[in-house]
Amino acid sequence: MTAAESSPGTLRAHFGLWFGLTVITAMLVAAVFAPLPYDPIKPNADAVLQAPSAAYWMGTDSIGFDVFSRVIEAARRDLPLAFGGAIISAVIGVPLGLATTLKGRASEIIMRGLDAFQAFPLLVLAIAIVTLTGNRLEMVIFAIVLIETPRMMRLIRSEGLAIRESRFIEAAEAMGARPRRILFVHLLPNVTGIILAQTSIAAANSLTVVAALSFLGIGVSPPDPSWGVMIQAGARLMTSGQWWVSLFPGVAVFLAVMSLNLIADDLDVIFERTSR
Amino acid sequence: MLRRLIIIPISLFFVVAFSYALVEIMPGDPALAIAGNTANEREVAIIRAELGLDRPFDERFVRFFTDIAQGDLGRSFFDGQIVSHEITRYFPASVEIMVLSLLFAGLIGLSLGALAGYFRQRAPDSVARIVITALQAVPEFLIALLLIFFIFYLWRWAPAPIGRLSLTDTYPPVVTNFLFIDLILAGDWNGLRSTAHRSVLPVATLAIGTAAYFAKVARATIGAAMSSKQVQFARACGLSEFKVLQYALLQARGPIITYTAILVAALVGGASIIETMFSWRGLGQWGLQAILNKDVPAIQGFVIATGSFTMIVYLALDLVVAALDPRIRHDRG
Repeated sequence: MTAAESSPGTLRAHFGLWFGLTVITAMLVAAVFAPLPYDPIKPNADAVLQAPSAAYWMGTDSIGFDVFSRVIEAARRDLPLAFGGAIISAVIGVPLGLATTLKGRASEIIMRGLDAFQAFPLLVLAIAIVTLTGNRLEMVIFAIVLIETPRMMRLIRSEGLAIRESRFIEAAEAMGARPRRILFVHLLPNVTGIILAQTSIAAANSLTVVAALSFLGIGVSPPDPSWGVMIQAGARLMTSGQWWVSLFPGVAVFLAVMSLNLIADDLDVIFERTSR
Repeated sequence: MLRRLIIIPISLFFVVAFSYALVEIMPGDPALAIAGNTANEREVAIIRAELGLDRPFDERFVRFFTDIAQGDLGRSFFDGQIVSHEITRYFPASVEIMVLSLLFAGLIGLSLGALAGYFRQRAPDSVARIVITALQAVPEFLIALLLIFFIFYLWRWAPAPIGRLSLTDTYPPVVTNFLFIDLILAGDWNGLRSTAHRSVLPVATLAIGTAAYFAKVARATIGAAMSSKQVQFARACGLSEFKVLQYALLQARGPIITYTAILVAALVGGASIIETMFSWRGLGQWGLQAILNKDVPAIQGFVIATGSFTMIVYLALDLVVAALDPRIRHDRG
């Protein structure tokens, strides 16, 4: 890593972080406060498949829904789902990950179990779980947590194992600190940056999972808007040229995911992570 | 290495147990949920017996394992097909799309990554980083839709996304279940051309979607290799810059092979949305349909097939990486 890459603070040095935070904040603010020009769940049968115009900024779909209103409304559902899933994964994954840095047979077995678990196509697994448990919205969060927690654990474990070799841990052990104290007082503060970065990545992944699930009509039920549902609504129209129905919700997913990834990238640089 | 081999049966046990657990997590009476509202008592009873729900848990669990050990994955609830036959029928198509997409993804990704790594911190690197970041953030189904819009609708370069053969093409006699190979064996060159043409959109989608991974890892490893002593020495010897880059690439082969293996495993079965969008009729599309139908034996077969395939790929990966790098010795680990 060069000096230019790691110098903290300036906007130029951390363009990604500021860009990402601005976009995500703007999306959240819009989701909460923005006045919607049209009712997002009441179609207007007289305005079907209108191209983007001054009246309909992002056009309308084949039922007569206003795409712009629904893109904003969908953020109210998709963003909390993704953030909720990511935060729960961190809350569960961090203590478990720290615990597996303790030497012993149990942690070895847990990690092998995780290896086997990660051998599945995880998105398909999420689809299976949500469908088989009755297609409810809460299960989407459960599926996200199931996918993201092992990743969090793995990362915290590898970072934790590296830090455990440090002198100050050795010193703490020599002074008779208990394992729990070492984990939460000495190790935890040293992995804060990694936790933040990984939570951001987890939120980005979750958003993709939510979009993919709702694209398949899993977890959310129409006419409730979700970016994935909206992209699906326009999927067939792509072959006949009405690009706006899918494109705008697609751009929303894209912007949100990219912002979260950029935030994570810069956090990694700022906290000078040692391994991944 | 022995240690690595012992893990295989343990992992397989996890995979099978997991596929079993999938039925257990269904709320209420799984038989009722599968049969749906229109089923009568008799149909529900048949499904219940089929799942073994009329017997105690431990007996069910043991029976599930012995059946699978004998290669019996049961029959689909939905269309009565034998699940293991269905898997061998759909698996080859998934392998075909995986191989083709990774070929192109590797080509695009490694070139982009090598360019960025070679010109570290300079203009080409900045452009490559923006492209990589953007590519990583686009969901694959959105790439598919954009390609359909531009390449099919606007420019008419590719045929409609309705399957691997057009309605007028006839399927060649099934020999290997690999459509490309079967077409060649049948000498059906028109069919081959048609299928290749119809592969453009789905292959391009997955290639673009996965190219970013190759680019990212190539950029990082080649970037590091370019400042290594080996490259310094190669330059000092007066080798051409192209030769130097070749040596740098050689240093980066370990991580690149690792990523390839992960993607090989992920794409077989994992590309279900893209397979479905383009009616590719591979394992992923079959598995997704099984899930949406709540077709339990098929779902379990799918989970076991993809899980085992991934394990085989990861084992092969470990062997290859160990063969390439004599410093890694698994028996001492």
